[in-house]
Amino acid sequence: MKEFFRNTWKHRAHVIMALPVFLILFFIMYVPMAGLVMAFKKYDMTLGIWKSPWIGLENFKFLIASKATFINFTRNTILYYLLFTSVGTFLNVVLAIAIDQLMLKKMAKTMQTLMIIPVFISYAAVQFIVYAFISTDTGILNKSLGMGTRFYSTASLWPIILLIVKIWKDTGYGSVLYMSVLAGIDSSLYEAAEIDGANKWQQIWHITLPSLVPMVTVMLLLSVGNVMHSDTGLFYQVTRNNGRLYGTTQVIDSYVLNAIFKNSNFGFTAATSFFQSVVGLLLMLFSNWLVRKIEPENALF
Amino acid sequence: MAKKNDLDLAPSKREKFGIGQGILAFLLLIFTLFCAMPVVLVFVAAFTDEKYITQHGFSFLPKQFSMVGFNSVLRYGQQLAQSYIVTIFITVFGTFLGLLVMSMFAYSISRRDFMLSKFLSVYLLIPMLFNGGMLAGYIVFTTYYHLKDSLWLLILPLCTSTMNVIILRTYIVNSIPAELMEAAKIDGAGEYRTFFQITLPLLKPSLAAVGFMMATAYWNDWQNALLYITTDAKKPLQLLLINIQKSIEFLLNNSNVPASARAAMGGTIPQYSATMATVVVVIAPIMVVYPFFQKYFIKGLTVGSVKG
Repeated sequence: MKEFFRNTWKHRAHVIMALPVFLILFFIMYVPMAGLVMAFKKYDMTLGIWKSPWIGLENFKFLIASKATFINFTRNTILYYLLFTSVGTFLNVVLAIAIDQLMLKKMAKTMQTLMIIPVFISYAAVQFIVYAFISTDTGILNKSLGMGTRFYSTASLWPIILLIVKIWKDTGYGSVLYMSVLAGIDSSLYEAAEIDGANKWQQIWHITLPSLVPMVTVMLLLSVGNVMHSDTGLFYQVTRNNGRLYGTTQVIDSYVLNAIFKNSNFGFTAATSFFQSVVGLLLMLFSNWLVRKIEPENALF
Repeated sequence: MAKKNDLDLAPSKREKFGIGQGILAFLLLIFTLFCAMPVVLVFVAAFTDEKYITQHGFSFLPKQFSMVGFNSVLRYGQQLAQSYIVTIFITVFGTFLGLLVMSMFAYSISRRDFMLSKFLSVYLLIPMLFNGGMLAGYIVFTTYYHLKDSLWLLILPLCTSTMNVIILRTYIVNSIPAELMEAAKIDGAGEYRTFFQITLPLLKPSLAAVGFMMATAYWNDWQNALLYITTDAKKPLQLLLINIQKSIEFLLNNSNVPASARAAMGGTIPQYSATMATVVVVIAPIMVVYPFFQKYFIKGLTVGSVKG
């Protein structure tokens, strides 16, 4: 203990340098964690979170009572996570390898520059672009290509629309991280493989892909903690928060956002938030534990 | 780890350009077009005549061009200028503040014999595993901190992130020789001087990459603005975009909007070319700046293990 204090005193400059982030995290991230107790209280705006009366599991009974809504947005959240993560990871890796393999380096670089641009466009702007393609009266798909589909009132089409938007927006940038790994592969490995008579596909299969595994694991692990969180802009902005599409587009985050704006149903929403945070934590701990069992090197913590 | 600087890293210089390469180039070209064309459409539509869009829909090759869209953007004139100032302020201030405090934190927890660094690493990691969610944050920030309608809520929530600290720390550990910092100390430089004069300059590639991503996040943040900002003078660009869309929708859905309001909009509601022109005004600055930062992306964005 004495040693600890001596060490800390010796490093007092480092303590001071760490302080700003410590405080910001405390007030922005840690204090709201305590706010989760709302889930067990009858929230009264005039009393505040701490003074509102406890009501036990009452709010959670709400969840079960209105299970149609609850099941719908939970199912959407999880399914979109699975869809986006699997398709996204696959495309990121394929794109990184493809760009890496292209011999025309100038062309590869220019193409990559263009592919990354969509990630810099906010969803508040993206929704106008999507509208230009699919609006009923003026959208390119309906007007120029004559599809005659009312996209904004056909819920069943939205999983595909949102997937396309997501791929368009994130794939180019998503591949950058994997490219940084490919850049680190020792090129003598490829030369040796070639001398041994391995063709391009064999080289990719036996050298390139295995070297990407640690990064894929880290990225997947990081994303698991976000299973219950979504890219809110995609579901709130791109769909124009359209009630007719909620069946396939409402996720937990967009539900909570709407509840805040409507200033209503805080009990139900607090219970949902609590559920969201706890499930996220458990999934994260579980998957990290799983990775540590299989390949301790790749575990996050 | 030795790394080459940019994309010239293929192990395949020794091969001839064959049919396989041709197919690869073609497929990549298609994907590039898929990514770029929607952006092109924004620019084309911004210069397309409003009536042309109403009649023929959006088009990549419109027959009538006009500047009307940009003219009606100027109608928001003062608000647009104000929103630009707000967005630039939070982007610049937030990014610099974030980079400074995060790199100091990353530097501290990367010191080897610093016993508290284990605790600080865990403290940093927890918010990534568990958080209070949007609702609790909203209530704490507005009713306990009384920060509703304050620019601090546009700055602080995006200012630090666990991921970015990890990226910075990985760079410090992997790419800045510890001997260098020890040598500085032997030469009599204090902790702060070592950090600001030795570590920080060497951290530049990572700072550039992280900083650019942060700047983009600030520039594009609409959610905090929508949740917290109510005064016109504090509205950033993204909130302005959302407001424009909402007011158009309102005008279209309410036939009983007074004629004077419609007249103020110039007879017809400038919904197509004008909104696209606004989108151009909002996204153009990032596109101009981005190519200068691209070279740092691969070098600076290496994620290491989170383990302390």
